[in-house]
Parts: sequence; C-alpha cells; structure tokens
Amino acid sequence: MKRSWLTSGLASVALIAAAGASWAEKANDTLRVAFTKELENVDSYFNSSREGVVLQRAVWDGLIYRDPVTNEYKGNLATSWEWIDDTTLELKLREGVTFHNGEPFNADDVVFTVNFVAKEESGVKTQRNVNWMKSAEKVDDYTVRILLKEKFPAAIEFLSGPVSMYPNEYYAEAGPSKMGLEPVGTGPYKVVSVTPGQHFVLEKNENYHDSPKGQPTITNIDIRTIPDVNTQMAELFSGSLDLIWQVPADQAEKLDEMGQFTVENESTMRVGYLSMDAAGRSGDTPFSDLKVRQAVNHAINRKELVDALLKGESQVVWTPCFPSQFGCIEEAATTYEYDPEKAKALLAEAGYPDGFTTEFYAYRNREYAEAIMSYLNAVGIEADFKFLQYSALRDLNMKGEVPLAFLTWGSYSINDASAMVSQFFKHGSLDDARDDQVLADLNVADSSTDPEVRIENYAKAIDRITSQAYWAPMFSYNTNYVFTKEVSYSPTPDEVLRFTTMTWN
Amino acid sequence: MALTESTDPLLQEITGPTPGQMLRKRVFGHQGLLFGGIVLGILLLVAIFAPLLAPHDPYAQSLMTRMEPPVFLGGTWEHPLGTDHLGRDYLSRLIYGARVSLMIGVIAALISGVIGTAMGVAAGYFGGRVDMVVTFLINVRLAMPVVLVALAVVAILGGSLQVVIVVLGLLLWDRFAVVMRASTLQVRGREYVAAARAIGASTPRVILSEIMPNIANNLIVVVTLEMAHAILLEAALSFLGLGVQPPTPSWGLMVSEGKNMMLFEPWLVLIPGAVLFLLVLAINLMGDGLRDVTAPDNRS
Repeated sequence: MKRSWLTSGLASVALIAAAGASWAEKANDTLRVAFTKELENVDSYFNSSREGVVLQRAVWDGLIYRDPVTNEYKGNLATSWEWIDDTTLELKLREGVTFHNGEPFNADDVVFTVNFVAKEESGVKTQRNVNWMKSAEKVDDYTVRILLKEKFPAAIEFLSGPVSMYPNEYYAEAGPSKMGLEPVGTGPYKVVSVTPGQHFVLEKNENYHDSPKGQPTITNIDIRTIPDVNTQMAELFSGSLDLIWQVPADQAEKLDEMGQFTVENESTMRVGYLSMDAAGRSGDTPFSDLKVRQAVNHAINRKELVDALLKGESQVVWTPCFPSQFGCIEEAATTYEYDPEKAKALLAEAGYPDGFTTEFYAYRNREYAEAIMSYLNAVGIEADFKFLQYSALRDLNMKGEVPLAFLTWGSYSINDASAMVSQFFKHGSLDDARDDQVLADLNVADSSTDPEVRIENYAKAIDRITSQAYWAPMFSYNTNYVFTKEVSYSPTPDEVLRFTTMTWN
Repeated sequence: MALTESTDPLLQEITGPTPGQMLRKRVFGHQGLLFGGIVLGILLLVAIFAPLLAPHDPYAQSLMTRMEPPVFLGGTWEHPLGTDHLGRDYLSRLIYGARVSLMIGVIAALISGVIGTAMGVAAGYFGGRVDMVVTFLINVRLAMPVVLVALAVVAILGGSLQVVIVVLGLLLWDRFAVVMRASTLQVRGREYVAAARAIGASTPRVILSEIMPNIANNLIVVVTLEMAHAILLEAALSFLGLGVQPPTPSWGLMVSEGKNMMLFEPWLVLIPGAVLFLLVLAINLMGDGLRDVTAPDNRS
C-alpha cells in the first residue's frame, strides 16, 4: 500500500514535469518573448530604447492614439481635443478609467504628468519628446489644457506616441526608480514582476477601457532578455520561446526555409547613417572639409548594403529622416552615387591623396559597420574601429569626441520629420554640424502650423544638410519577427510589438 | 674532437654513438615532437609566405557572394573554404590569420620569457633579499586574473595588435619566473657551478655558461606552454571584441564573426576553431617532445 502510494506519487511528479516541458505555453495562455537588449529602466520617460517603447505601449496609454495602419488619430485617454489657440490644446478625458493600482484616472493625473515631464530638471531622457510642452492646467475633472512653449504642429503625433499618462498620487511618491520596478499605468497589460534588465512578466488588464488599441486576448506575457540571437533561436526550437523579433536577416532567411515558424518582415522607421564631425568638435579632423564628407558619401555602396546585408523591406535612404515622415522630402536631398574613384579624387583635392586614419565608432550591427569600414578602406580612409555600448557612445557623442560614427535613429516611431532631423540638427549636444542656416529653417518648420510652410522649410533644411554632406544617410532598417505557428500576429511598420493584437491560433 | 671524427671501427665501438647521433635518434623516434614540429613548421611557412599563398585579398569584400560554403560542403574552388559574412575569402583570411596568431605567440612569449627568466634566475641564484622581492612580485602577479586584467587594459587603451602583444607579454611571465627560480635553485649548488666560481668566473659568466644551459630544457617547455597560452588568450580577447580589431584577420575574430550563424553555417566557426586547435596542439606536443629529448635524465 505504502509502496504503491510512493510509486504513483513519483509517477505523477514525472508526468507533471514531462507535461510542463512538452505542452506549448498556449495551454497556460502565456506568450514568451525575448528582448535582445537590456532595458535600463521600465519607466518610459527614463529609457531611450525600443524595448522601452514596447513596454510603454503595453503598460501605459497616451491621450491620443495613432492607428498604425490607417495613420488616423483616435482618442485614447482623451475622447476629443481641440486647439483653443496655437499654443493651447484642450482635451476632454475619458471617464471611468482606472490605473492598475485602482487609482482613478482624471485631469489631475494629466496635469501632474505633463508638469513633471516638461520640467527639464526632471531629467526625462529624450527631451525632444516632452520639451515642447510648457505645462498643463485643469479645467474640470475631465477637461485639461496643455500649454505649449511655442507653436508645435507635431503635438498630436507626440501625444499619441511617447507621452504617456502616469498616476499622480503613485508617481509623486514612487518616482522614476520605483516606477521602473513596479510600473503602474492604465494600459492593456499590468506588470506582475520586473527583474531589472532581465525579466518582465505582464498580465492582461481585465478592466481595460474601450481603447483603440483593442482588448488584450493573451493572458500572460513573459519577456526575458537574451542577448545572443543563437540562444534565442535555440530556445525557439526547443519550445521555450514563442516569439522573437529583431532577428538578423541571414538567420530569418534560414528560419523561414525551415518552414516551422512564421517569419514576418516589416520596414521600420529606423534609419542608419554615418555622422561626421563637420563642426570639428573632436579637434582637428578631416571631416570639417566638405570634400571629405562628400568623398565618404560617394564611397558607400548603399544599394549593395541593402540588397545583400539588410534585405527585406529595407530601402536606400538619402534623407536625414525616414521618407514616410511628414516633412521628409526625398526630392530635396542630394544623392551621391557609389563612385570610389570620385571619392578618391575628392580626398586628393581635399589634401589627402593617400587617405587618412580616423576613429570609427559603432554600437550595433557590427557586420554592417565592418562592411562600411571596408568601403571606406577602399578609398583610403582607414578606420580605427571602436565598438561600444549605446549609452557609452551617446555620452562620447554628447561630449563631441566622435569624428565618425555609424549611428541609427528610430524616431520613437513618430511619423514626423521633426522627430529625427530636428533631434540632431538644432545645435543640441548631439549636433556635429552646427549649421545656423539649418537651425533657422528647422525653427520655422518645427513651429509653423501651416503644412505648406513646414514642408518648404524641412525641404530647405534637408537640402542644406545633404548638400553639405553633414551625414551620410544610408538605409532604413527592417525587422524580422519570427514566431511559432500557434501565434497569430501582423507586425506594423513602426517596430512596436503590440501584445493586444496577438492571438493564439 | 679527433676521436669522434675518427672512422676507426674499434674506436666507434668504444665510444658508442656520438651525442649528435643519439639526439637525432631520440628526435626521430619521438612521434609527438615530429608531429608538432611538422605542423608548426608548415604553419610558420604559411604565415611567412601568406601573400604568395593566399588566393585572394583577405580584405576584399564582396557582399554579393556572402557565406558561400566551402568545397567539401558543395562550394566552388574559387573559394576553397568558402566566404565569410562579408564575402571575403575564408582561406585567405585563415592564411593571414596565421601571421597574427604566430606573431602574438612568439613575441608575447619572448617578452614574458625575458622578463620571467631574468627574474627567476636572479632570484634562484642570488637568494636572500632578491629572492624575497621576486617571490613577492610573482605572488602579486599570480593574484591578478590574466584575462580580466588584459580585458581591462585593452578596454582602456583600445584593442590593436601591438597593444595585445605588449599586454600579454607583460602578463605571462609568472610561470617563467617560478620555473626558472626553482631550476636555478637546483643547479646553483652543483659541483660545476662551485668549480666555475672557484676558478674565478664572473657572475654573468657562471649564469650564462654554467646555469643557463642546464636549465634550458625547462625553459623550452615553459616557452611553448606560454606561446600556446598567448595564442589562446589573443583568440579569446578577439572573440570578445577587445583584441585584434576588424578588418585584421584573426582566428579568434573569425570565430566571433561566425558565431551569429553558428546554428546554420557551423563551418564558419569550425574551420578557424580547428586550425587554432591544431596550432596549439602542435606547439604543446613540440614542447613536450623537446623536453623529453633534451632532459638530462632521459639521455641514458
């Protein structure tokens, strides 16, 4: 008797263990996802990475929402909005929304959030996302006004993107560090647990309001940081991951050939470019010479990079912004055909007949950086290659110590040229061009509410930037999403994983 | 001398085979030494004549012909070992990579050999305070994890061939010092050293012509061990992205670059890995063999 109890006990333990390993997590209603990069802080105002954007869209809501397919603006936490004058936006808020901790959402939360993030001392990581707002004021419990510093036509776009609403009582007490560990928002998913940089567990918000994001269907989302793509793929094979994304083109191709997984490719707004220290911030550098910058532009075979390395939906980009963005006028950009001989000739004219050696920085896609380096090498620009973490390179860049770098920018998926070109060319700490004419054009373009005026001035800025070859814009990125056949998901071109639109097959 | 040159059969019988003949016999009878020597010799020749042997420019990129498989996996003879992720000829990069590995191995072992041997012999021969200082330095050095220190230094100074060589050279002397000190302690009390001193030989002369030849066999073993060690460390540093910087071909870097495609194109990792293994094995076998054939106790 005793023995049979023991054996049956052991058998059931073994059975449970075996079942746990073999059951797809569909049975547990848990979608397991991998992040490649470590997310520094879940608080969406205090990180600047793609993983942060993904969590931001899941945990919090903005006042407005842009449908990623139709690009139509819809009310999210606000139900309607209206410009009182050029710098005052009045919004009616949705009633009956509660935060994950039970705190009701009302005008106080909006006023608190806007006033907090708009203050420069609060230290929001990407100032551009918030520094167009001056403050907010409460009209009544469900009506607020957001006051702008000056005219800012992209306001609606920013309000539907990076500006998410925080609970005033909780945030006042918790601050960014606790918000990063125990995030509280109104979004479709609640955060169950956070192991900083490593593991994030989300759970469906059963009381999610009637949002244009749609209602979540999958109950649990389990996100782990796995830096190595091979490990991610191995876990996908063994069934301990259901979805991986940002899969490099070569691997995605092979995974597609295997036929066991769904591989989806979507373009993203991310643009890869070479930034050159035209202003000479890093000391005496050859890049302050226009001819050298033109030579660099002519040395790169963008088409080959796109066809052979990036593949998918990527395209050659000549503009310092993503062509779908409002104001990103492709016709205004000077194009530089691939011509190594011309590049050599330009270098010789600039006084470098034998080329020169320069430091060359990069932080992602080492193989693209190597390919670019090889093109530069071919015309005589020898690169002293430095591969750094993003934050380290950004710091160096802010100090102006980077003569040449392969950088990328995803514009936070904001479909407006100001999110990229104005981010880098308005004499900020990341501006290596420091061109007054560009600054003047961008100031007009950024603050006008007349679309014609904006387009005209962005075009002027783009023309100046590209004819002066401050950058060598090269290509846009694409993202490969690979998931098991049990998951159904249609990625959108803005590189945001939307858990609400994922379902089990 | 006259005796050994004599062809008189009687004399030959009395004296037996000459030391040279005996050495030759031991060398050719030692399989490990032979194998190691031949492989190392071939790799040395490959490194020296790299520009003549490489079928392509190891830096020539061709993005349209990326990751072509090697001949034995269905590739073409245009690229016998295939091409890497940037379409560069894998064989050519492997051949040029031999230069990097051997150069680092030889020079780093040389630098650390000079430092370590000088310290070890001094400590063993003079004893007393010199010994205390050297032992202290050895302890300090042994307390530092080589890979971590190398990583830190390279991270600060930036990775390049020169930096890696110097850093490894300055880090790997501990075994030389330990072994040379112990060996010197053993021989310094011997009669021939006392005899040399008695006839008034100067200290440098005693060290160079009495002590060194008698501890050389140990030195050879350590040299080979450290050479292999340095080569592996370079590969490790390059694999981590802190050693030799691209586009310089280095076997460690090739493994690292092939790593991303490891699940689908394992040969990208296997080929440089196998060559690295072969080189280190050859050096170690040769070191072992050299000790066997030169050690005084094995001469009988």
